[in-house]
Formats: sequence, structure tokens, C-alpha cells
Amino acid sequence: MKTKLLTPCLLAASIMAATGTQAADIRFNGFASVVGGMTTSEGVDNLAGGGPSVFTADAPTQARYDDDLSFKPDTNFGLQVSANLGDGLSVTGQFTGAGGEDFDATVSWAYISYDLNDSWTLLAGRQRMPFFFYSDFLDVGYAYHWIRPPVETNVSVDSLDGAQLRYQGSMGSWDTRVQIYGGTSDATTTLSGVSVDLGLEDAVGAVFYMNNDWLQLRATHMVADFFLEAPGSNQTDSDPVGVDFSGIAAHGTFGDGFVVAEYVSYTFDDPVYAAAWDKYEGAYISAGYRFGDVTPHITYSTADQSLIGFAGSIDGDEGSEAITVGARWDFHPQAAFKVEYTTRSDESDAAVKAIKGEPREVDVVTFGFDVLF
Amino acid sequence: MKSMTFKRFVAASLAGISLIASASVFSAVAVIVHPNNANTLSESDITRIFLGKKKSFPDGADAIPVDQKEGSAARSAFVGTVLKKNDQQIKAYWAQLLFTGKGTPPKEVGAGADVKKLVSENPALIGYIDAAEADGSVKVVHQF
Repeated sequence: MKTKLLTPCLLAASIMAATGTQAADIRFNGFASVVGGMTTSEGVDNLAGGGPSVFTADAPTQARYDDDLSFKPDTNFGLQVSANLGDGLSVTGQFTGAGGEDFDATVSWAYISYDLNDSWTLLAGRQRMPFFFYSDFLDVGYAYHWIRPPVETNVSVDSLDGAQLRYQGSMGSWDTRVQIYGGTSDATTTLSGVSVDLGLEDAVGAVFYMNNDWLQLRATHMVADFFLEAPGSNQTDSDPVGVDFSGIAAHGTFGDGFVVAEYVSYTFDDPVYAAAWDKYEGAYISAGYRFGDVTPHITYSTADQSLIGFAGSIDGDEGSEAITVGARWDFHPQAAFKVEYTTRSDESDAAVKAIKGEPREVDVVTFGFDVLF
Repeated sequence: MKSMTFKRFVAASLAGISLIASASVFSAVAVIVHPNNANTLSESDITRIFLGKKKSFPDGADAIPVDQKEGSAARSAFVGTVLKKNDQQIKAYWAQLLFTGKGTPPKEVGAGADVKKLVSENPALIGYIDAAEADGSVKVVHQF
């Protein structure tokens, strides 16, 4: 797995080394977030087997807060090196480390970019899977108001190994961007305490994005084959299941205020093995207002996962609703301090709760710094 | 209590006056290109070039924007008046593009004099300077 990750990185590095002598225009940039937090669930038994709920802050690493203060789940760093080789050709590598993976450096982006003309660009290599409005820059906390975008619009699969064709143009006062991509994605994560390999094969998708000076609109669609393999379980040789993903988002800026909302859904052709996942829907709406350097904000988010044939026979929904209040303080030109409180309730059907308990019923407080360098 | 309020009033007034004073030192921003550059640029052309959404002048020739050093009065005025963003918003904007392969911010080349010198030597460049600094070595395409 690790050597697989390294290949695009070595490729990028060797290309850079080969051209380094020609004084290519090389740029280093980085970002970091240092965040601490904990749940306030101490002594509350929400789980079917007893014990308090946890809050999973980062889907790809499954890093979570419990009732002890932790600085790992939302803490991360990234270093990007980019070489502009001229004539529209550039090579970029981005190395990130997440607290949820003990800061093991992984290659999040490693691609060659070529401007075919003024409007079209081809990117080949490792990129972010552009599922959500915030997917591409999810790691870069400085670029948004929260400590993390709502977890209801975040999935374990976050990288794309493949190619992307990007168009950039304008129509009157609107700028438009279209991304068409194809490739594969694989990830290792932990589900219910079991380490599993999961990902997408034959993924093909598109993103349509347009903005004017106050409004941004985004729509996306993707189809792929989803696989989930838990070594040692009877799911190892399961066939991939087709998945269909859609999402829409809008962001409006009104002077010093802003509102952003997103809705996503994905449906599997068949319920996913023992997990019994069928259709998933996630959404949020968030608003904030900038008073000088301080931006207080509030967010409502919700998620609903329907299950078919769960625990043998249960057809039902598991879901949650959450309110997040927080503030961002831009105390330095390159850094922001943030504090946030989320209270979430478990809205699952009684039949599901009878087996799983109320694992989504949790409150969490987090605070930390985002830096650009 | 009363004197407290009065002191605050004085402090606020002084802060206000000094803000106005520092703003008035800075007259206007001139957007400049090479004297041989015959393009007519609209405000939206300039915005698009400086936000990385357009890579060429209307005649099709390459357009390369250059920035002044961070913290310069001309840069803050340009970002605020022309790009209509504050310093934090423009940083977040470029962070979103830079770390996602969608664009790189303009190169920082120094003070107004440095921008003027580079632009006077290279027809592909476009920059901005304090209007008072403009002279025959460059062509002013817009003044804000």
C-alpha cells in the first residue's frame, strides 16, 4: 500500500530533479492545523454494548474524539512543491500528514498538469476525489470558516488516481469551470473496529461550477463500482457494487455575511454486504458574519443512511441531526484561531437503535489554529 | 464612568482620523502594462487576470500578473478596490486554488518601483502602482 503511494511521488520527484538544472520555477507552500477537542459524553451510555459515543471527525482516517482531550483527529499538515516547466506544463506533489494516522506522510496530490490551451487543462496522476464543495481543499483549514466541514458530507474515499480534464471559461459576469475525471481510488479504514480496504473502480464523474462576484454554484455526478474487503471475514471475495453519487451546493456572499448549503446523495445498486447500506443522504446549511477579524457562524447538518436487510432482516434508517456554533478569529495575516461546539442527536429508527444503541448522540467541543506558510 | 466614556470617544476619534489620514496618503491605484501593449482592458478583464481566471490579454497574447509585496498600501488598495476582497479573503481564495491545482497566485516582485521596471521591460506583464508613480516607461490602462 505504502509503496503504491510512493510511486507517483517518486515520479514527480524524478521529473523535478531532471529539470531542476534548467532553473525551473519551483514553489514551496504549506499549511497546518493544530486542533484539540473532546466530547462531553463522559458517563453517558449511548452504545448498545455500554459506554459513551465518540465523534468521528475525519472519515478517511476514522480519527475520533472521545471524552479525553485529544489533539489528533483534526490536526494535520501539508507541504506542496510545484515546478512550473514553462509552456503550460507543471508538476506538483502535495504531502500531507494527519494526526489520525500518527502523521505518516502520504501523497495526497501528485500530478502533471498541462494547459492544452487558454481554457483546457489536463491533469494526470493522484488528485482529490471532488465529491463535495470542500473536498479539494478539505485539508486546508485556513480556506474555510469551520474547524472541519460538516462530517455529514465527508466520506472515507478521498483520493483519485487517474486523469482529469478541466475547462475554465466565462459567460458575461459568470466564470465557469467544468471538471471531467476518471480513475480509481483505494483506502484503508476501520469500520466497527475492523480494518477494511475499500474504494472505487472505474469511477467516472463530472463537476460543474460557476461563480459571479457574490454567488458560487456547484453540481456533481459520479458513477463507479464500490468495493469493500474485510480481510478474514466472509466479505473478502464479494463483487463490487455499483454506486451513483450526486451533489449540489451553493455559496452566497452578502457584504460581510455568507451562507453556504450543500446536499449530497449516493445510492448503491445492491445493499452493501453486511453493512446493509442502501441510499445515503447528507446536507447542511451554514451562515456566518464577519465582524472585523472575528467571524461567528452557525450550521445545521443532517444525514440519513437507509439500511436494507440489516442484521438479517431490518429495513430502516440510521441518521443524525447536528447544530454547530463556532467562531473564527483572524488574529494574524497567515493564521486563524477557531473554536467550535457541535451537539448531535441520533435520529435512527427504533429497530436500528435496538441493535446499535445511539452512537450518533454526542456533543463535542474543539479549538485550534490553522496556518498557511 | 463619564470620563471613561469620554476617553473612549477621544481614542475612537483619533483612530478614525489616523485611518482617514493614512488612506489619504494613498491617492489612487494605476494598473499598468508595457507601452507597446495595445489592449483595452475592462475592469473585469483586470480582475480575471489577477484572480487567475484568464491567462491572456484580449488580443490573445500571454498575460502575467505581478503583485506588490504583502503589506504595501498599493496592494491592499488594489485587492480591496479592484478584486473586492479583504486580505484574509484573498489569502483563503488563493489557498483554495493553490493546494488543489487550480492556480497559483501572482508572483510578488517588490515595491511599486520594481513593478514599474519589470512591466516596462516585458510586454506580457501587468501590474499596479500608486498613480503618482506612473511615468512614460509604462502605460496606464486603468486608474481606480
